[in-house]
Amino acid sequence: MQRIWGIVLVMTLIWACSSDNGSGSGMSDDVDPGPGPTAETFARGPMLANWADNIIIPAYTDFSERLSGLSAELEAFKAESSEANLVALRNAWLEAYKAWQHIDMFEIGPAEAVGLRLNLNSYPSDTTIIESYASKGTYDLKLPSNRVAKGFPALDYLINGLGESDTIIVAKLGSETAKTTYIAYMDAVLKDMRELSDQVLSEWQQGYRDTFVNNEGASATASVDRFVNDYIFYYEKFLRAGKMGIPLGVFSGNTLPGNLEGYYDNDISKVLFLESLNVSQDFFNGKHFASDAKGESLAAYLDALNAIKGGEDLKKIINDQFDTAREQVTALGTFREEIENNDPPSNMLLAYDEVQRIVPLLKVDMVSAMSISIAYVDSDGD
Amino acid sequence: MRKIAFALTIVAGVVFTSCSSDDNDIVEQAATPTCSDGIQNGDETGVDCGGTCTPCKSGGENTIENPTTYAFDRDGTTTVDFSGQTTRLKMGGEFVSALSDNMRTAEQLQAMFAHEAGNADFTDVDLNASDKSIKSKTAASADFFGGNATDQAAIRADFDGWITGQVEEVFVNWETTAAPGVAGQMPHGEQVRYINAKGLEYNQMINKGLIGALALDQIVNNYLSPAVLDEGDNRTTNDADTMEEGKSYTAMEHMWDEAYGYLFGLNTDAANPLAGENDGDRFLGSYIGQVAEDPDFSDLLTASYDAFKLGRAAIVAKDYAVRDEQAKIIKAKLALVPSVRGVFYLQAGKNALAEAVPNYGEAFHALSEAYGFIYSLQFAQDSTTGKAYFTKAEVDALLAQLLADGENGLWDVTPETLDRISESIATKFGFTVAQAAPEAI
Repeated sequence: MQRIWGIVLVMTLIWACSSDNGSGSGMSDDVDPGPGPTAETFARGPMLANWADNIIIPAYTDFSERLSGLSAELEAFKAESSEANLVALRNAWLEAYKAWQHIDMFEIGPAEAVGLRLNLNSYPSDTTIIESYASKGTYDLKLPSNRVAKGFPALDYLINGLGESDTIIVAKLGSETAKTTYIAYMDAVLKDMRELSDQVLSEWQQGYRDTFVNNEGASATASVDRFVNDYIFYYEKFLRAGKMGIPLGVFSGNTLPGNLEGYYDNDISKVLFLESLNVSQDFFNGKHFASDAKGESLAAYLDALNAIKGGEDLKKIINDQFDTAREQVTALGTFREEIENNDPPSNMLLAYDEVQRIVPLLKVDMVSAMSISIAYVDSDGD
Repeated sequence: MRKIAFALTIVAGVVFTSCSSDDNDIVEQAATPTCSDGIQNGDETGVDCGGTCTPCKSGGENTIENPTTYAFDRDGTTTVDFSGQTTRLKMGGEFVSALSDNMRTAEQLQAMFAHEAGNADFTDVDLNASDKSIKSKTAASADFFGGNATDQAAIRADFDGWITGQVEEVFVNWETTAAPGVAGQMPHGEQVRYINAKGLEYNQMINKGLIGALALDQIVNNYLSPAVLDEGDNRTTNDADTMEEGKSYTAMEHMWDEAYGYLFGLNTDAANPLAGENDGDRFLGSYIGQVAEDPDFSDLLTASYDAFKLGRAAIVAKDYAVRDEQAKIIKAKLALVPSVRGVFYLQAGKNALAEAVPNYGEAFHALSEAYGFIYSLQFAQDSTTGKAYFTKAEVDALLAQLLADGENGLWDVTPETLDRISESIATKFGFTVAQAAPEAI
């Protein structure tokens, strides 16, 4: 099997993990102000502006560029179907997939209206449908039932899953018939991805930004309340459960490696997970896209509220837990190795537990400090 | 411990309609417990005895102990059998699943609905061999339809029409994206729903409609009806412990068990459903637990179960007043399943439509379920009158309102309409909309 050691994730920990100075642990400085009269002085508007202008719109812009980079590599592969060009195509796909992790959580407004997340990243993909559409040449990618046959997971299958080696894959993708089957289908999938994401970006640029930022109040329908719900929902369902818990079998009782994000690539599930975890923590801290600069954020909001938990700074507790989760996950092998070679996959389960520990910190402690109520429920799916 | 039973013909067609309802229920539906209401309440230590009432006589006539589980035997042999109900619930499960298989023809689906012995309609060979069918017990209770063949035919025609609609409107548009006035696919989270031109999912209407037309109707309007329990010489044979031919139970015991089977027949622990889990029941047994998760109706499951046990014990004790009181409790409790759940889904639909980006998939799915539950309301019996809380005509009127805000049905429905229907139902059944839909903000 081909292994593509893509980009090694060099995420330097910015929040110098000031490991709990164990000294204080015994003596509780019980001057806990409690839920007293800490009047809310934090302005939500600037936080929304920081999110929109320094994080969300730059991330969508970057994503759009990565997709056009991916298109260019596909064109290059079409012109010359070599193994080198397949590798270049795959790298461009991975870069775009990582860029996707930077916008996945923003399923609000234009992205929510088009259902961007499930249109671009429903996995596992249905390879039977993909094969049938590719060979048939007629399909409607806008159909909801075809979400499992397009987006990044479909490209994963077509770029990584058609054979055991790059030689075989190039032979399949570079053949004359492939021009009207696999390659034509890749073109269609990529076109669909670009149309949807460009639409979302242009709506952010042309009005939704102001709608979002100006809805600065504190109510169930205000931007902060709604987006904090979306953020935690994303973390809980798509990051924690989707990228880790479901393939690990936490919910079903059976490990499901085929449900890993980027399954056919073998190596990238953990890379994508860590990217997504970093994005989640960076968002919490208001860190600008592709920059070390920081703006108003949920962390700053907690500071303004003086939020503490068990005598400790809640912001620090949350950041420490993100760091712990990252360390544990980083220490693992690839997710496929962990799940397929260990029964039970104990180390990955332990790492999962650390990832899980962030959920109540956000979903209970943080939101109660901010007086935001959690409005989502996991539906039974009946 | 299920026995392979052979057909126990419960006379569907036999019609003792207005069988001069036993007037031994002079007992008030009073809030205050009395020593003669046939229920163990107040400080009583048995039914109508102990505490401030006369002391309970051990083994005496007014002491009926409620057994801990629904297990009854005679000389070491169980007397409980509801395999016919289990069979129909399983048929219903396969039927409902098949409604989402667009390769099926209308004829195949109709054949599953109205199965005939020996036909290979199901994957389960035991179901194929059975002479039972869903349709024969749809709107087929003695109390409500014994003398009302007109409504029975109309109700069966409703189901037939929905089956046909699923094939001729929805299946043919399987690869179409739904829009107002256009049947087809609708995304609902990660799932895909298939709706008709007005936004309704026929499969949900059929599934939730059968909760009333099959399960609830058979339980409350048929097997728990005094007219059925006391049919023919059932009292005489029960008093004399005369078993059914070749069976270990009396006719009356069996009637009660058949009612029980429609509620708990597919539970992993049918004798103690509180300990077991629903095992494939798509109907009443599935939803009673869901409604009981609402704190406002938390006793729904336990109270129904307790009343079933005590009523059955009363039949063994030949105390028919206690039996009928338990039947009334069950009727009142089970009526809450379609009514509470109907309001819950109406409000869920309203909330989904009110989102910043209206969630049509979520809303239409909820409202299609609501449609079926509201349809089921015509089978809920008000035990104080012996009549339906809502007649068929009234239910049809409520459902018409749901689709009347514009030419495209659910695509046009307004929150005012959803609230108005919710209020009508909640008021009729004696709860509030907020109690039924606590998550509805």
